[in-house]
Amino acid sequence: MASPKTVPKDAQVMMQILKDMGITEYDPRVINQMLEFTYRYVTTIIEDAKIYSTHAKKSNVDADDIRLAIQCRVDQSFTSPPPRDFLLDIARQKNQTPLPLIKPYTGPRLPPDRYCLTAPNYRLKFLQKKVSSSVGRITVPRLSVGAVSSRPSTPTLGTPSVQTVGTKVGTPVSLTGQRFTVQIPSSQAASVKSATPTTPTVQNVLINPSLMGSKNILITTNMVSQNSSSDSTSLKRKHEDEDDYDAL
Amino acid sequence: MAAVQDGPMELDAEKEAKPEILSDGTSNLSGNTASGTLSSSPLTAAPAGGAPKMEDQQTLIAVLQFLKRNKLSESVEILRREAGLGEHQEGSQATDGSGGGKGDGDGGDANSLLSRVSITSAAAPQSMPVKKDQPDVSVVLSAYSQQGDPPLYQVYYSGLKNFIESVLDCHRAELSQLFYPLFVHMYLELVYNNHETEAKAFFDKFSGDQECYYQDDLHILCGLTKKEHLKGNEVLLDFRTSRFVLHISRDSYQLLKRHLQERHNNQIWNIIQEHLYIDIFDGMPRSKSQIDSMSGSLAGEAKREVNKAKVFYGLLKEPEIEVPLDDEDDEAENEEGKPKKKKTKKDSLGSKSKKQDPNAPQQNRIPLPELKDSDKLDKIMYMKESTKRIRLGPENLPSICFYTFLNAFQGLTAVDFTDDSSLLAGGFADSTVRVWSVTPKKLRKVKSAGELNVIEKESDDVLERIMDEKTASESKILHGHSGPVYGVSFSPDRNYLLSSSEDGTVRLWSLQTFTCLVGYKGHNYPVWDTHFSPFGYYFVSGGHDRVARLWATDHYQPLRIFAGHLADVTCTRFHPNSNYVATGSTDRTVRLWDVLNANCVRILTGHKGPIHSLAFSPNGKFLASGSTDGRVLLWDIGHGLMIGELKGHTDTIYALKFSRDGEILASGSMDNTVRLWDSMKAFDEVETDDFTATTGHIHLPDNSQELLLGMYHSKSTPVTHLHFTRRNLLLAAGAYNSQ
Repeated sequence: MASPKTVPKDAQVMMQILKDMGITEYDPRVINQMLEFTYRYVTTIIEDAKIYSTHAKKSNVDADDIRLAIQCRVDQSFTSPPPRDFLLDIARQKNQTPLPLIKPYTGPRLPPDRYCLTAPNYRLKFLQKKVSSSVGRITVPRLSVGAVSSRPSTPTLGTPSVQTVGTKVGTPVSLTGQRFTVQIPSSQAASVKSATPTTPTVQNVLINPSLMGSKNILITTNMVSQNSSSDSTSLKRKHEDEDDYDAL
Repeated sequence: MAAVQDGPMELDAEKEAKPEILSDGTSNLSGNTASGTLSSSPLTAAPAGGAPKMEDQQTLIAVLQFLKRNKLSESVEILRREAGLGEHQEGSQATDGSGGGKGDGDGGDANSLLSRVSITSAAAPQSMPVKKDQPDVSVVLSAYSQQGDPPLYQVYYSGLKNFIESVLDCHRAELSQLFYPLFVHMYLELVYNNHETEAKAFFDKFSGDQECYYQDDLHILCGLTKKEHLKGNEVLLDFRTSRFVLHISRDSYQLLKRHLQERHNNQIWNIIQEHLYIDIFDGMPRSKSQIDSMSGSLAGEAKREVNKAKVFYGLLKEPEIEVPLDDEDDEAENEEGKPKKKKTKKDSLGSKSKKQDPNAPQQNRIPLPELKDSDKLDKIMYMKESTKRIRLGPENLPSICFYTFLNAFQGLTAVDFTDDSSLLAGGFADSTVRVWSVTPKKLRKVKSAGELNVIEKESDDVLERIMDEKTASESKILHGHSGPVYGVSFSPDRNYLLSSSEDGTVRLWSLQTFTCLVGYKGHNYPVWDTHFSPFGYYFVSGGHDRVARLWATDHYQPLRIFAGHLADVTCTRFHPNSNYVATGSTDRTVRLWDVLNANCVRILTGHKGPIHSLAFSPNGKFLASGSTDGRVLLWDIGHGLMIGELKGHTDTIYALKFSRDGEILASGSMDNTVRLWDSMKAFDEVETDDFTATTGHIHLPDNSQELLLGMYHSKSTPVTHLHFTRRNLLLAAGAYNSQ
């Protein structure tokens, strides 16, 4: 620690405050941090008080202005936890409801999707589409999405996939193996508009979003096979949707 | 008594009107307390043993003044007429009244005290003013007139001090308990009524006399010199509104009462009546050491009836596991030696009897998740490992393997191991959570959805194929929090990791994909600790907002809120049967809560500093707690008694763990040591007779030295976490501290 002679007066005051509060061991930089905080806080309060006093058309800033300034700032920055009686009250309310029963065999137990962080947080921009005139409409779009590397499209296996008029599904959840649509249907039921049976393997360029926490791939491994089949049933392209989304 | 009895209706009516008026007038008053009273005795209040007529007059006058102050002129008229009071009688009180009046007012906002004058041990603490009897009325109503003359506070206190020093030795220790709460309350009264200089003088004169373990509180107090300072300080406000509990034997109490009534020391008497709860017990007065071991908490000790609720501390029955797969059956047969034709294999660790343990909770007392196949496999692994467990004891100490975090410039703040010791998680001050694999097996995350499509789903090793080999690594970093991570906890099935942080959220991470799944927002203040239930699904978190919350992974809001602590909740742990939660707090108490209805079933006092670690014994009967004062205290949960005190550490104890069979307790502290204690011996020596069971006053043998089995120093690495593997190897973790 610097010798008292060379330490500025403010810092000496701060060291004395720390000593009075019983804090004996601290990094030397703590004093600088405390001083910075003090300057900033006092400046803010005094500036606020000046504003209040001019608003009240007073010539000088007086103690009432300062008091008001402190009061207003306290609610903003130095919030303290709620008082005990309030906590006891809400606790009583919350503790009256019985514990909810646990449904068996529900897979990963997570809150409803809107409270989870498992939704995709990106949009894909569809670049080009090629429409084949043969059976069905097969498209092999190419993508360029920022940092995501697009792999060459895996060969389509078996029968060509079929377009479906995908419904606009509200919930932006559970990314399945979709590649280039923005809104991805969460439930497979929603996307079954077309009557054609879906092939389980429709391959296209796949994106591997790094931040995806796909609900379907999750937790209990015995769900995986079920999920991947459900993935595939929803692998339908929705050109109409893409156009709509591009226009957004 | 005539004057008052004439108008009991009226008086009651005034009193009933008072709560509504109060709650309208001062907006910050809470609804459930009826009167805001700051301090106690006015100069004008009659002495407790004085003439009844005088007392009643004073009461009426006080009521009149109160009504006048609230501008209820009609009520004033009516009361004056009925009670037959003249103008002149109020004159003498007016000056005092106005003096003390302004002191209250808005200041009484958060200080809404319900004045409870119940001194007997059976008294119920909650009572509305309307039901009070005569002495209480004077106390309540006279709060609005001037309280004790500031210079006289010192005189009162010195008087009490002299008295206590002059009593018999056996009573002195007990009555000395009064010093600290009286001192604090008198000081706060002086500050509240803006007598700054007197407050300072009072503090300087008497603060040195207080017990050493209250020094931290006194530091905080001496920084409060003005009324405004008190407003933001929640802990102190709670101190003012809750009653400081003292256990005093009947003889000592009689002595005290007689003295105070003789000396007309109303000031002290009124403070005692208002702010202290004296739990009287019949029997021998306690010795200083007994008192010292139990005191130290912010609210005194715990009332005896609080610790009388029945606690189901037994363990839940282990389920019988039917072994569905053939290979497991083969292995099982080898170790169990049972014939293969048996369909079910009974858990070798479970109780053989079909009878319910009377101390164990019902299986369905709280809903628990069912066992999945993967859980059953885990259990079988567990049983296999436990057969290879080393039996520990005083002659057979565990080996300790210390995991040192080198170059942890990020600041290691929390560590956790999985139960099978395969994964290690560290929470850091730079808001990241890192997961390491302790075994040679690397960490793998599940492949992305596209890749999952191409794998063959019907193959036998599909569970390996879904894992991504390309990004396998020894450790993974999880980003997401926006503040230092203060608590981490693995789920028992190793699928999830919880982390709690200073940003007020608890995050659930998946260990299959190493991404964040949910952020549970509830505490708006730093969350100091979190812990998963031993059966998964539930978890508990505790933070700066002085409550602990029980969550389930599939509810975005907490299921239970455990409110009651006076200061931050720093440590939360589940009981092995998942029916109870223990919380340790900065108010130096440990509370045990029932998950079913969030009742506080035990309050355990005795620590002299904030509690930072808790550990339940594997049989569920005992709890160990460690705090900043360097002591480990052992508690019997069933009786709610302190049964052991382990002294030795010189710094905060952040890690406590019982060995797998409960024979050894390991404690790790900031003084860079791990100490092993003989818990078997500590628990055996508990002797409870009727007296100790009723009063909770146990005489602890000072046997810390005998119980200490070993002390191991690390090279300047404070111990953050301890964990016994399934085979009773002790793992420790900490960050190397180069200073």
